[in-house]
Amino acid sequence: MTNLTLAIPKGRVQADALRLLQRAGLRLSSESLSTRRLAVEDESGRYRLIFVKPTDVPVYVEHGVADCGIVGRDVLLEWEPDLLQPLALDIGVCRIVVAAKSEAIWNQFGMLRVATKYPRIAAKHFGARGVAVDLIELSGSVELAPVLGLADCIVDLVETGRTLKENGLSIVEVITQSSARLVVNRASYQLKTEAVGQLIRSVEQASQRRTNGD
Amino acid sequence: MSEPLSKIPAGMRYYCGPEARLRRTIETAVMSIFDGWSYEEVTTPTIDYYSLFEHGMGPTQAHRAFRFSDGDGRLLAIRPDVTSLVARAAATLFAQRERPLRLCYVAPVFRQQPESHTDWRRESSQIGCELIGANSSAADMELLAIVCEVLQHLGLVRGCSITLTDIDVFNGIAEELKLNPESRDEMRRLVDIRNTSDLEQFLVQYSSAKDSQALARLTQMSGKGEILNDARQAISNARSQAALDRIGRLWSVIESLQLTAHFEIDLGDVSRLDYYTGLTFKVYVDGAGRRIGSGGRYDGLTASFGKAEPAVGFVLELDALTDILLGSADSSSAAKSVARPAQITGTDLSGLFRAAMDKRALGERIVIDSSEVAR
Repeated sequence: MTNLTLAIPKGRVQADALRLLQRAGLRLSSESLSTRRLAVEDESGRYRLIFVKPTDVPVYVEHGVADCGIVGRDVLLEWEPDLLQPLALDIGVCRIVVAAKSEAIWNQFGMLRVATKYPRIAAKHFGARGVAVDLIELSGSVELAPVLGLADCIVDLVETGRTLKENGLSIVEVITQSSARLVVNRASYQLKTEAVGQLIRSVEQASQRRTNGD
Repeated sequence: MSEPLSKIPAGMRYYCGPEARLRRTIETAVMSIFDGWSYEEVTTPTIDYYSLFEHGMGPTQAHRAFRFSDGDGRLLAIRPDVTSLVARAAATLFAQRERPLRLCYVAPVFRQQPESHTDWRRESSQIGCELIGANSSAADMELLAIVCEVLQHLGLVRGCSITLTDIDVFNGIAEELKLNPESRDEMRRLVDIRNTSDLEQFLVQYSSAKDSQALARLTQMSGKGEILNDARQAISNARSQAALDRIGRLWSVIESLQLTAHFEIDLGDVSRLDYYTGLTFKVYVDGAGRRIGSGGRYDGLTASFGKAEPAVGFVLELDALTDILLGSADSSSAAKSVARPAQITGTDLSGLFRAAMDKRALGERIVIDSSEVAR
């Protein structure tokens, strides 16, 4: 049986992703998961899990270092990696939104200053609306930018909206929904057909089971 | 401050030592296989009009080329693709030649914008052949047989997968659903990334729920010959059915040649190159994270150069082949080691070079050592 390497995003989605994989039949001991090791094997030895930053998941999978990965749609939209995306998963559900102190930003006809971790998504979105934007690329605490006057609005991922509220911001527009996806390297899909196919099927079933409340 | 002269532009590189030798060895071996199947080598222009490539590759792919303007203001491009150039030559230079035409080439292509994140090279070498003027399963099979021989010769056939589809399977569906160009592209994208659930949602706008569900399975229709039966049931339009029959014919030949282990039918593998019209195939090899070659039928391409005729071709990525073989110990050992040269010494220049030229006349490998020459 062919072995597969799966890239798992560290952080927000990690725990849900691991639970999903366990329901899909991967046997992951709690010891192996509690260590700080960045690569662990499941007990069958058929799967190797590597833990990487969410934005790095597509990098590993696209290069074929990992055969499959779990990654948010936000990352896929931003980086446009050349990957297969056979499954939308019901984990990491959130929205990509425009948030500002008030709706008044739409009255601005000159240039909108947008702070974001997602410059491409932001550029595409405002481009389609015909709005000129000054993109200010930040790597964290984006919510601060409008508060301090660095930007008029932000484009960011929102799960509950609490951070926005606490910083005096509200959602002025929802760009799109996002959830995690199972992604597969193109060559692995062709060369490890059976193993990849089996993983897709079992993750799909595990994902449906939870949706149906079983 | 100016850039240091040591800096190399992104996506460009040198090749040297064992790697350069291996590249040359592979190139020679593949070109000699092409010659064995009576393909004639052509060398194409490196720079040509951008409009030629735009016609040939479609605007999205052609946009990736390095572009600049000629003295008269017309837009030029450094060759991003060889097939467009060969197709034009077939329709013009070789218009009067007897058909079918068998042409092959090895040439670097240049792309300013990479196609994907893993595609860091902006100059890469392509080895390919084109069979022009023959519209038959025989022509399609000829190319697949050549690909097999190349992989066999390079020792890559064991872990390989050549995936087959016919772009008309997809085209037939798009036509039946009366998709406009934008939604056709969207459907193609969803099939290409195997996003079954989004594809089904997309199809519901154009078709009944039951048909959408059946058609969405296109993303998962991969396997050996039996997959064609599944496909025939899910897809009923005449154009797609004819395409499935064509693949069926090829598959039965592949079966009788006992080559099924190296092939896979994958109806979801919809190509991104706009010129393909029938069979398309991609070559994957164990050890490479991406495809190492691709090909297919492009019956519409030569018409844009003034002579409509069927054509089929393929291209292999020399760089990808070299990377894999360099990594595998056995197959490249011959290229990695070179015969030790005979050292030629002498105290006077004429004696030194007489000895050297004598050895060379015998075909020996030499190296000149002039340290003993009197100054």
